[in-house]
Amino acid sequence: MIQENKVLSARFGTPDSCSIETYRRDGGYQTYVETLRSRQPDDIIDEVKRSGLRGRGGAGVSPGMTWSFVPKQTDKPKYLCVNGDESEPGTFKDRQILEFDPHALLEGVGISCFAFGASTCYVYLRCEFAEGIRAVQKAIKEAYEAGFFGKDIAGTGFDLDCYLHIGAGAYICGEETSLLNSIEGVRPYPRNKPPFPAVEGLWGCPTVINNVETITNIPHILKNGAEWHAKLGHADDPGVRLWCVSGHVNKPGVYEFETGFKLQDLIDGPCGGMRDGRKLKAVIPGGSSSKVLLPDEVARVTMDTPGIRALGSSLGSAGIMVFDDRTCMVDAILNLMKFYAHESCGQCTPCREGTPWVVKILQRFVDGRGRPQDMELLLDIAANMEGRTVCALADGACWPLTSIVQKFRHEFEAMIPSAKTSSGRTATAAPTGAA
Amino acid sequence: MITLTINGKTVEVEDGTTILQAAEAHGMKVPYYCYHPDIGIDGNCRMCLVEVNGNTDKLTISCKQACGEGMDVQTESPAVKKARKGVLEFYLINHPLDCTICDEAGQCPLQDYAYKHGPGDSRFVEEKRKGPKKVEFSDKVIFDSERCILCTRCTRYFENVRDSRPIGVSDMGGKCTITLGPNGPIEDPYQLNIIDICPVGALTSLDARFNQRVWFMDFAKTICPGCSKGCNIEAAAYQGQLKRFEPRRNPDVNKSWMCDDGRLSYDRYNLTDRVRSAHVAGEPAELGVALDKVNELVGDGAGVAVLASTKNTCEDLLALRTWAQAHGVTQLWHGAETWAGDDFLKQPDATPNTAGAQGLGFEPVPDDVPALRGLVVAGDVPVPPALLGTIDFLVHQAPTAGELGPAAMVLLPGRTPLEKRGTFVNHEGRRQQVRPAVDPGPGVPEDWTLWRDLAGETARADWPSVRHVIGAVDRALGADKVASAS
Repeated sequence: MIQENKVLSARFGTPDSCSIETYRRDGGYQTYVETLRSRQPDDIIDEVKRSGLRGRGGAGVSPGMTWSFVPKQTDKPKYLCVNGDESEPGTFKDRQILEFDPHALLEGVGISCFAFGASTCYVYLRCEFAEGIRAVQKAIKEAYEAGFFGKDIAGTGFDLDCYLHIGAGAYICGEETSLLNSIEGVRPYPRNKPPFPAVEGLWGCPTVINNVETITNIPHILKNGAEWHAKLGHADDPGVRLWCVSGHVNKPGVYEFETGFKLQDLIDGPCGGMRDGRKLKAVIPGGSSSKVLLPDEVARVTMDTPGIRALGSSLGSAGIMVFDDRTCMVDAILNLMKFYAHESCGQCTPCREGTPWVVKILQRFVDGRGRPQDMELLLDIAANMEGRTVCALADGACWPLTSIVQKFRHEFEAMIPSAKTSSGRTATAAPTGAA
Repeated sequence: MITLTINGKTVEVEDGTTILQAAEAHGMKVPYYCYHPDIGIDGNCRMCLVEVNGNTDKLTISCKQACGEGMDVQTESPAVKKARKGVLEFYLINHPLDCTICDEAGQCPLQDYAYKHGPGDSRFVEEKRKGPKKVEFSDKVIFDSERCILCTRCTRYFENVRDSRPIGVSDMGGKCTITLGPNGPIEDPYQLNIIDICPVGALTSLDARFNQRVWFMDFAKTICPGCSKGCNIEAAAYQGQLKRFEPRRNPDVNKSWMCDDGRLSYDRYNLTDRVRSAHVAGEPAELGVALDKVNELVGDGAGVAVLASTKNTCEDLLALRTWAQAHGVTQLWHGAETWAGDDFLKQPDATPNTAGAQGLGFEPVPDDVPALRGLVVAGDVPVPPALLGTIDFLVHQAPTAGELGPAAMVLLPGRTPLEKRGTFVNHEGRRQQVRPAVDPGPGVPEDWTLWRDLAGETARADWPSVRHVIGAVDRALGADKVASAS
């Protein structure tokens, strides 16, 4: 059995957990003040690098590495942008931090900005997070009043301003360069890289964009040390993560575990098994933009970057979506592709034109008008989208699509009206449901 | 300098050159839509993807990627060809394919690339996206959202070149469209440039749309005669009628742009009442007879002045000067026509060759005009009334008779700037070549030949063709005034 290790979520159940009083009572902001007084920026970056922490937003890049790319000698201001545009389907972990422990995020903001010399932080939240917005806004105000933001923080001469920026809730604004454009007030198209934001980001100045959960990890690493963090979970992808489980399990929700556990154990244990005693059909393990896993893969995969890469998928934003045997996978991927088609910003041709085309094809299957050649067509459309666009939205759309077409081909074939399937059976128009 | 290989060929380029520029400079053209040399790089169309150092997972946009030392670039590898074909397929699935009624057909990069790089057939069996077909962006520009491929050249033209945002992209994904901004119709006096840079028929000029198929028209590379900027243009004509002016790229003069006034001025040169033969005292006369009459009237040249339009080419003016000086006429003046200039292209001088006229010794009409015996007006030019007060005779040479015509003792035919051959010198002293877009028809010789013939046998022998006069102008203006137009 696996045990929860509550680091990030330790205070989620505390009454009045959002207030600065309870946060300071629980030892909050002590690490921040001690770090400002006694640590050197390079030393902090090194500590975070040594901790082995990977970014929690989806790409899994080491924040310590990103910080070290920020030029030290520059006349320009430097910025930290906290990415709280959480909108990956199946992902709802940052929301928990924002709503239940906003000061933990802000303490991480303070330490991170000090580490790479940022003088301003923008916390970017999507407008749908009404609770989170209220909590963070109040927390920022309290932190200013307590002297943790503003001028000459804790008498160290370090100045830091922190602003809340509320986006309109577009998925694309979670792409780091789109987020910058959104803050700048222009159409949030992703930017071509290079230049990378660490060198040329917000208003052309060095900028780091980190996920909410990533930043919230920083005070714990500084407090307990890199070695403590590096020993949590899997050696190549250490730490604790907030895992979002949704779908056909008895107890969906956000769970905090060290990496390296077996996915099957999570489903069978804390999640209380499959709903209504149904059979497992598939799991999308890392937010919708990851490749689907079959039951036998679920049975042996460990939830850490090396373990999941071995099966060709990714941990992404740790959104685990569980499908039982009643699910029509064609319907499921249609649902997801509608999301990508809707959220494509429309900048690059392959994504703008490709995602709605895929939706139209999948809709035909669901309407009983699928054709035998459509599976190859879907895969080829995906091939023409993946790696051909500015940002990774198209890639993220292609991974669940191609994996579902490849792994559940029989379900597509079964939806082709009165045609011979590849196995020679005559299919009916209705989905069979069986895996 | 940077050395790299493109398609196996080793090339050397300046630091900062993009792969697209390097490939094009060495004869390996990479297709593109959103990039434009005078608007800038955007990277949205994904047509210019190339393979760098064998990476086929992620292809690179050649419009933005600078060449790197030792780079191995493939512009025609299987991965690149497949990606290109894929992008074209994506474009075409929702494009109306109404080429038969589209004004862009024949000069459409979507058509051209579809033929050259496209899939040839369609795998799309769904319903095409529908959208507004006739959106009035202004009283000059119509937008068809279905044809639009969202390269955003038009919005970026206003942003980057005109520093304004009258139009922008609205909505998301497949529903994206170019939309008029909250301030209403486009008012920019340079707005028609977006018609040329639009790679499809999404933006059409209300003036030019449904007017003439591009393949039926003849295009002449010439110079806009509307002001002294000397914008390089292509003048399009169909059966002797001018139909369009379009800017022709010259990075040193007008880049890819021209003003709407200049562009829409073409119809001014479609004349209905032109002078088709010489007239003496109001009666039609043989050209030879009329020319003899001119020389007879001018006599020893005393008290005679020449007033030349600066819409004449340098070659017209040199021939005119040669004749005038041979006949003792020393007062060589040029006309003045002005309009409101601006800080972009439009110059206050509304004629194309004032600098050329001045270089060849023509001077502005003096404030204090001496008493004249006779006046020779060369070209269509406003004549100050003071010049006409005392004269015994008027010689007028122009495409149309105009107000002066009835008063002229001798009326000679002339050509419009769109029928001329020669050179103009723009306000910066740049001499550029002018080519005829239309033929005026019978009875209207080239202006320079008229003055040459009037000047006599020597001139006729020296200048058998316009090339010879262009050479003579080279010498008259000095070697530094070189012709730059191609």
